[in-house]
Amino acid sequence: MVSEEQINRIVQSYPAERRFALAAMQDMQHAFNYVPEQGLQALAAHLGCGVAQLYSMATFYKALSLKPKGRHIIKICNGTACHIRGSVNLATGLKRELGIDPGETTEDGDFSVEMVNCLGSCALAPVVLVDGTYHNKLKLEDVPGIVEHYRAQDAQEAREAAEQGGER
Amino acid sequence: MSRTTTILVCCGTGCIANGAYDVADAIEEQIVAQGANAQVELRVCRTGCSGECEQGPIVRLMPRDTTYYKVKPKDAKAIVESLEGEPVKKLLYRDPDGVRHEAQAKNPFYGLQHKTVLANVGVIDPLSLDEYVAAGGYEGLKRALDMTPDQIITEVEKSGLRGKGGAGFPTGRKWRSAASYDVFPKYIVCNGDEGDPGAFMDGSIMEGCPHAVIEGMIIGALAIGAETGVLYIRDEYALARDHIQHAIDDAYEAGILGESIMGSGHKLDLSIVRGGGAFVCGESTALMNSIEGKVGEPRPKYIRSVQSGLFEKPTVLNNVESLASIPVILAHGGEAYAQVGTEGSKGTKVFAMVGKVKHTGLVEVPMGTTLRTLIYDIGGGIIGDRPFKAIQTGGPSGGCIPERLLDLPVDFDTLTEYGAMMGSGGMIVMDDRSCMVEVARYYIDFLCEESCGKCTPCREGLRQMRHILTEICEGRGREGDVELLEEIGAMMTDASLCALGRTAPNPVLTTIKFFREEYEAHIKGRCCPAGVCPELTSFRIDAPACTGCGLCAKACPTDAISGERKEAHVIDAAKCISCGSCREACNFDAVLTEGR
Amino acid sequence: MDKTYQITIDGKACTARHGEFLWDVAKRNGVHIPALCRSDRFEEHRACCRVCIVEVTVRGRTKVVTSCVYPVEGECQVVTDSPRIRQERKVLMALLAARAPESDVIRNMASFMGAGEGYGRLKPLDTGKCILCGLCVQACESMGTGAISTVNRGTEKEVNTPYGMASDACIGCLSCANVCPTGAIEYQQDEETRTIWNRTFPLARCSQCGQVMDTVDMAEFETCDECRKKAIADQLAQAYRFV
Repeated sequence: MVSEEQINRIVQSYPAERRFALAAMQDMQHAFNYVPEQGLQALAAHLGCGVAQLYSMATFYKALSLKPKGRHIIKICNGTACHIRGSVNLATGLKRELGIDPGETTEDGDFSVEMVNCLGSCALAPVVLVDGTYHNKLKLEDVPGIVEHYRAQDAQEAREAAEQGGER
Repeated sequence: MSRTTTILVCCGTGCIANGAYDVADAIEEQIVAQGANAQVELRVCRTGCSGECEQGPIVRLMPRDTTYYKVKPKDAKAIVESLEGEPVKKLLYRDPDGVRHEAQAKNPFYGLQHKTVLANVGVIDPLSLDEYVAAGGYEGLKRALDMTPDQIITEVEKSGLRGKGGAGFPTGRKWRSAASYDVFPKYIVCNGDEGDPGAFMDGSIMEGCPHAVIEGMIIGALAIGAETGVLYIRDEYALARDHIQHAIDDAYEAGILGESIMGSGHKLDLSIVRGGGAFVCGESTALMNSIEGKVGEPRPKYIRSVQSGLFEKPTVLNNVESLASIPVILAHGGEAYAQVGTEGSKGTKVFAMVGKVKHTGLVEVPMGTTLRTLIYDIGGGIIGDRPFKAIQTGGPSGGCIPERLLDLPVDFDTLTEYGAMMGSGGMIVMDDRSCMVEVARYYIDFLCEESCGKCTPCREGLRQMRHILTEICEGRGREGDVELLEEIGAMMTDASLCALGRTAPNPVLTTIKFFREEYEAHIKGRCCPAGVCPELTSFRIDAPACTGCGLCAKACPTDAISGERKEAHVIDAAKCISCGSCREACNFDAVLTEGR
Repeated sequence: MDKTYQITIDGKACTARHGEFLWDVAKRNGVHIPALCRSDRFEEHRACCRVCIVEVTVRGRTKVVTSCVYPVEGECQVVTDSPRIRQERKVLMALLAARAPESDVIRNMASFMGAGEGYGRLKPLDTGKCILCGLCVQACESMGTGAISTVNRGTEKEVNTPYGMASDACIGCLSCANVCPTGAIEYQQDEETRTIWNRTFPLARCSQCGQVMDTVDMAEFETCDECRKKAIADQLAQAYRFV
């Protein structure tokens, strides 16, 4: 959750110099899964620049997003090696599973799918990165299993959380 | 006397993706489980990328030089048991005649390489300053500290080193120019924003030997008189960033960075700036804008960065691989470095060779090595021994090189003469199942997103190129399209604001130049010869060739393929989405494509 | 005294000061080089429309440069409309015409440069007059307001306020609309109010004659640069209230 306190902590951890704008926004991205509007305003006030200048950066740099992303972020590598080994097919497969195109988040907020530039594991193409875990040399037929894996993991966690809640 | 055996576990990004950490953990557990051997002091060393990522995780025993490929955690027991005795046969390199070899050099993937910049990558623990020093690290810096800036620059000039990011500007001349300005502070910047899709040379160097990059920057700072340095590292390269930060911290601790470099009285501070995720920031002035906390648009000024760069002060910006070459040059002399390579391009070059080649990974060869050697001798040829079609070099700024140019030496100048370029080192091998028009569209798509969008030629030229290429790929190509692409491309080459825009049409212009007939086939023949563009391709199964194994039916995402086991299968055209999964799955070349 | 050079522009002998931009030298000597993103109001030029490209020959080497930011640093020969330049400008204008299909200015310029016909294959945007020259953003920044900026990148780039919403920083001064070469920034004005960038501003009138002067926000904005910056910072600090 976005909290004023956390935004302030991030903003105040940098000197009031323009060159720290990107780093501060990256910290927010990391903390909240997106850069909230309140964050831009607080940072603009701290740096003495306009919100528009920061908004311009936030829409320019791919590492930043202005909308919250899903709990699981599925990154389909579309580097050249992955592309010629069928990464676009993987996107089609994910659309079939999740009903969303790259760049979108499922309505339940469980998954975001992104088409990303080279992840640097070209030798293992095509590669999909889910929450920091690599899935290598994927075929279209592997896609449902991957989605199912994370859904099952979530369901498991939810059950455990419910059980713990029950004990309390 | 005890001997030391080191177990090197490759922990480059590729091997980690293949589970290298689990392998290292399993080996460590086995060492404990099997008990310490009195004669052998064991050490597991998690190294940077050893090169052949496809065969990973790779484990190497030193000094006996036994290399194991595709190691799984369950192999750990056998590996630890093999330390003194016979090697584990099934994990060794197997040559085309079926003979197994222990030594790394017997594998042509390694045997034909010439490791200079990568000498320590995959051999030492990147997180250990001691190991870097033991391997001769910081010797170059020590020599540099006894030299005047002019002497350092002269040494670099003698080496003939040129910028390995692709532009090929002589590094020595750049440094001399920056040194000539009496404006302070000056900056040295390392461009670690490797954004070419299909390239991971710089990432691997930063991961595998971060101190070499840092040492190179310190020497550069001494040469030009800078006291501040910045490493701009790509956002996606988390591991590289961690290793560089670790190395910077260790270097401060050891007095190699900070107020007095190795007690010399020279000062240098280094810090990392995380990239924002923008390919255009590989362009030097866009990168500097990004460091300054602005949108990463290139600057329109006709003034060189050595005079007015970061914060409008004299700035030297070098690429990772160039900087990592500096310690070697200073330690062994510029002349020794210049022994290798060609007349105009000295030393070695690291390539990331990927795509449809048998052995993919990171290779370092002398400048001037031919593409044929790279692909066939080191890379082992094309997967499935299919026909070679093209090799894409230089990423979105580069071009596609056809078979007939494979015997050209790869260096800064030769490929450029033929309308392609060496680029920063990404090499993507393509076989007859890659469509050159679709490849061109892929790069233009990439650039449409990655262009900063500031100047008209690049932004609007790319938008229209994407439109025309999409029309061609989807079967709506028209006569005159190819000429219009050439017309727009020529204008972009001349009139764009920065190097990204000026080179952006290259993927289109080179594919037109070398594969024009493929464009014609799409436009006039309504057919994609490679069988890639779905709207122009239909799939069918060649009944005599089909063995009825059922692999295609299993691979088909839409259940369009049916047939009895051991009998010829058929594709239901109504259900087929032309994705090509069946053709990839078939081991008997029984899936054929034709126009629609 | 500044160093000067003898240069030729389209064969005409001209004198240029060291570091002077080619476009300015040409203008001073009566040679007009077409340009869209250049304004005398600003010292820094964005050099992004690229229409002002010319051929320059320095020491026997000929290259294409952008005249609005190319500084003269030696003897050179300049050609402003060689066949190569004419061809490239034509393509540029064809691209811009597809970019801004509703702009008469661009359409006329394009047809004047020979790009009126023969480029039907290009895909025009559905609507719009904006050519993304960025002068509006420059104007807004020079006012010290910073209400608009470029948004997104690549082919998706546009000019807008943050989130496309009414901006607190905007004072309705029309600097952006006035500097726009294609009239792409629209606003409405009636007796009482002016509406621009999704925000409606009350108008101030002269206390003597009742003539419309400016928006009320502009009148309040009349401060020196330092105070203006401080005011913005204060305003933002105020605006920053957490929900």
